[in-house]
Amino acid sequence: MKKIIGIVVAVIVVVALGFAGWLYLGRDPMSFAGGSTVALADYHGADVTGVPAQLASADLVKRGEYLTHAADCQACHTAPGGAPFAGGFAFNMPFGTIYSTNITPDKQTGIGNYTDTQFLAAVHKGIRADGAKLYPAMPYSSYTYMTDADALAIKAYLFTLAPVNAPARQNQLSWPFSQRSLLALWNVMFNPDERFRPNTSESPQWNRGAYLAEAMGHCGECHTPRNLAFALDNHGKFAGTLTAGWRAYNITGDNVSGLGDWSDEDLTSYLSTGHAKGHGGAAGPMGEAADDSLSYLVPDDTRALVTYLRSIPAHASDLPRTVTTAAPASYREGVAADANSRGEKIFAGACASCHDWTGVSPVTGFATLTGVRAVNDPSATNVAQTVINGVNRKTTDGRIFMPAFGAGYSDDDIAAVANYVTARFGAKGADLTGKDVSALRQQAAQQSKEAPNG
Amino acid sequence: MLTLTINGQSRDVDVPEDMPLLWVLRDHLSLVGTKYGCGIAQCGVCTVHVAGKPVRSCQLTVGDVGTRAIVTIEGIGSTPNGAKVQKAWMEAAVPQCGYCQAGQIMSATALLDANPQPDDADIDAAMAGNLCRCGTYIRIRRAIKNAAAKSA
Repeated sequence: MKKIIGIVVAVIVVVALGFAGWLYLGRDPMSFAGGSTVALADYHGADVTGVPAQLASADLVKRGEYLTHAADCQACHTAPGGAPFAGGFAFNMPFGTIYSTNITPDKQTGIGNYTDTQFLAAVHKGIRADGAKLYPAMPYSSYTYMTDADALAIKAYLFTLAPVNAPARQNQLSWPFSQRSLLALWNVMFNPDERFRPNTSESPQWNRGAYLAEAMGHCGECHTPRNLAFALDNHGKFAGTLTAGWRAYNITGDNVSGLGDWSDEDLTSYLSTGHAKGHGGAAGPMGEAADDSLSYLVPDDTRALVTYLRSIPAHASDLPRTVTTAAPASYREGVAADANSRGEKIFAGACASCHDWTGVSPVTGFATLTGVRAVNDPSATNVAQTVINGVNRKTTDGRIFMPAFGAGYSDDDIAAVANYVTARFGAKGADLTGKDVSALRQQAAQQSKEAPNG
Repeated sequence: MLTLTINGQSRDVDVPEDMPLLWVLRDHLSLVGTKYGCGIAQCGVCTVHVAGKPVRSCQLTVGDVGTRAIVTIEGIGSTPNGAKVQKAWMEAAVPQCGYCQAGQIMSATALLDANPQPDDADIDAAMAGNLCRCGTYIRIRRAIKNAAAKSA
């Protein structure tokens, strides 16, 4: 009997260790590339960290500003309608709500008293000045790859901002998630706490792209699925997942569900303006990433990101191939009216004037629905969110605007029109209910900047 | 400097490319028959034709017009269907306050251009984006049918 118990215990231990090992192996975002890596000091290729050549002789604050954009601190550290960098943005998690904090140099409520050492501890290890542990909603397991010099340049820039008195909002987390001390274990498992190591088997451009995507832009924090411990699971690196009520799409090279059929030009355009002809534009959190961060990158850095993205192993996800042909010109053809007459009526009144029955907008290419991933996503998550929240972005190519319909239309209406749009213009019609739309509104609460009328 | 073709005439305008066409028509070319309503393409009152399609001019930037021909309410009466629609509009005494009528006539004319004999469902689908706060929808539908009957 004792022997059997012993065997059972041993099996459990082996399985548990195996599982822990599996989780642990999933934490390194760059191991997919193989090859050999060296410490930055031992790397003799081009400069792959820091600012691009154009800014090499700029002063510390100017360099810090570029890097602050590259690391996209602003999107999460700004509440909708609030002062930039003053915090208060809500992360709605299954186990409660976490609020971002004030990173203006206010001495009472911001980071005005942080020393360089304390700032580095927060960015690299997720440890606050008072020693408490930050929740990994702050992407320190990505920022940990940032060089000390770059992190301190960001600090120098942040310290030039006007101090804003904005006390931290109280997180609302259920037990045991409310216990910050437990993060010590999480950090051992999931924060590599090491600086970027260039890969000598890859080009300097690839290394620059890796640094921008992992240490700075932290793309994986939205685009990589999470494991049970809510850490990134790089076994499915960049394969897409649901984040804050929006779907972050598969950005691997998969031909059907990823970016395999995007040209380099498409990717460059999307990364630099948040829009690519024939693929649609970014809205929601990706719209913010484009506006607050990616659009500030110099062309060489955008190209480096494209090079890095191209090297990510293809990973198929459950998205169908995007339909690239326009819908029929008449509402009578294509999706039958009697299948979803409510959705069709709403589309006729509120949508058709810009999007047309074909999906190809006579007004602006930004409004064309043909070929857009969100429209070809049978969950219709991002279609519903875009209808609720609208789009209001300023890009170098012009303003991208769609009214927010969330306040004027019921959950059932929004479900009906999202189902109609995905059926008429996409690969497969969605099956959203009013209840689903209500849940999507909840998940994205505090995440959206509602477009003003006009 | 941009060159636009409006109601068959070539017009030069010195405006930023991101200015909505509606602003250019009203403030720079004094074509004030096209009205400003909601400003977010939800009421239809600013509708003009661009390359024959009804377009909300409050959302179309002038730089995106390119070489496409524009027809406004001032020029629609010179087109066969536009003339019929305007006549039917008067015969049915469609307008009440009249603010939405320029947009209604533009959308109705575009409908008849694409579909000479629309039924009720066709009219609903084409006209749903044009709001009338006086509620003249029944007269609008009747006028469109009368205009269509004259084409037959």
